[in-house]
Amino acid sequence: MLKKLIKYDIKSILKFLSIFYILVLTFSILSRIFLNIENSLLFNIIGQIFNGASIAMMINIIINNLMRLWVLFKQNFYGDESYLTHTLPIEKKTLYLSKIITSVLTNFLSIIVIAISLLILYYSSDLLNIIKTTILPLLEVNNLSLTGIIIFLIVLIFLELANILQVGYTGIILGHRKNQNKVLYSIIFSFVIYTIMQLILLLIMFIFALINKDFMNIFITNEIVNIDIFKTLVILSISFYSIVLICIGCINIKLFNKGVNVE
Amino acid sequence: MELLKCINIDKSYDDKKILKNINLTIPRGKIIGILGKNGSGKTTLIKLMNDLLTPTNGEILVNGKKVGVESKKVISYLPERSYLNKNLTVLETIKYFEDFYENFDTKKANKLLKDLKLDINQKISKMSKGMQEKVALVLVMSRKAELYILDEPLGGVDPATRDYILDTILTNFDKDASVIITTHIIQDVERILDEVIFINEGKIILTSDSDELRNKEKGSIDEIFRRMFKC
Repeated sequence: MLKKLIKYDIKSILKFLSIFYILVLTFSILSRIFLNIENSLLFNIIGQIFNGASIAMMINIIINNLMRLWVLFKQNFYGDESYLTHTLPIEKKTLYLSKIITSVLTNFLSIIVIAISLLILYYSSDLLNIIKTTILPLLEVNNLSLTGIIIFLIVLIFLELANILQVGYTGIILGHRKNQNKVLYSIIFSFVIYTIMQLILLLIMFIFALINKDFMNIFITNEIVNIDIFKTLVILSISFYSIVLICIGCINIKLFNKGVNVE
Repeated sequence: MELLKCINIDKSYDDKKILKNINLTIPRGKIIGILGKNGSGKTTLIKLMNDLLTPTNGEILVNGKKVGVESKKVISYLPERSYLNKNLTVLETIKYFEDFYENFDTKKANKLLKDLKLDINQKISKMSKGMQEKVALVLVMSRKAELYILDEPLGGVDPATRDYILDTILTNFDKDASVIITTHIIQDVERILDEVIFINEGKIILTSDSDELRNKEKGSIDEIFRRMFKC
């Protein structure tokens, strides 16, 4: 049943997102082509326009994906379609999991498409040389690999997005437990939970900084952090976001199992 | 064992009590009309039976078990509103029902849709409200369920189609299955009802066999209803 639910959810999201995926890849390719034509101001301008459009489209993909997933969640669980969703012979936990897995897959796909677009736009031998001569030695000194750093950053972005999304789901669930102004309450709850989540992360970092003096530099100086502190910061954030993601997921399933009140 | 049982059901929103101490038993093989004015609590009761609302007090048992996955396998529910995914075509919606309901009969659905001259390749969003209601009814009646719950099934359809819908209901359920119909358009529906339940201001005020009630009160159910609920 879970597979079938995911199939319908993904279909519903990708119906729209795939258009943006095609657009961002097309704009990136066109930008690359036009910017590679030398000695032409016109082609350079067109190339820059496509470049800007590609960046705008990348931002659009992230925002659009989040918004569509929230709208799908609301429509399926609290809108007219909820009359169908909640009367399917499927456990509430499975219904919720299908939304989470769909979110994970579409977010992951979006990040991949954006990464490919960025490569199309900016990959060059010059860039590779800069990385080789400046960044790589710095990473090697600290026993880090470029691939490792990229993977860690992608995981961090991915977890941050997944948390924003799930906090939105929590907001919708809590907002719809109210009898009036459900949408307004959903937004307020989401905002409050997200703020609390970020404050807790900040507090954990501060407590960690009290133990580790180098780490305290993040809070008391404007200096660029060294690679070691950066590494700790990323690992700390990834661990925190992973724990929060699981905890909020369990809370949401528990809230769902208590029953819904569909309008 | 009774098909469905409501035990001391209360439903409140804040301080407002919508349903008050509802006790109800639905036997097998009957067509039961839940009749009441607008806002009397009919839809709230139906939504509770379908796990769309959580009761404030009491419990609902289907085949002796609390409302949940098992009850949803045997209840086929038609809500009062258009609830199908409007981005899908009728054909895709049939596939959806096929995927999620083991007891869905695709052949029957296709036959009923053909009878009603509905285009299966048309998108739900492109259909009129009446056509959407017909599609929903066909899908609901194409399940081999034990209990069909139809909330205002005649609300948005023309009088000519009402007879077809009532005949569809009459001829499309097993002898051991039951049908619950809520409506305030009693005249059209009363000919098929075995039992009636009158509900007013969240309370059940009368439960009776249809024929017994007609004989006792010397009039049609519609007339009795009008008399009882006269403003």
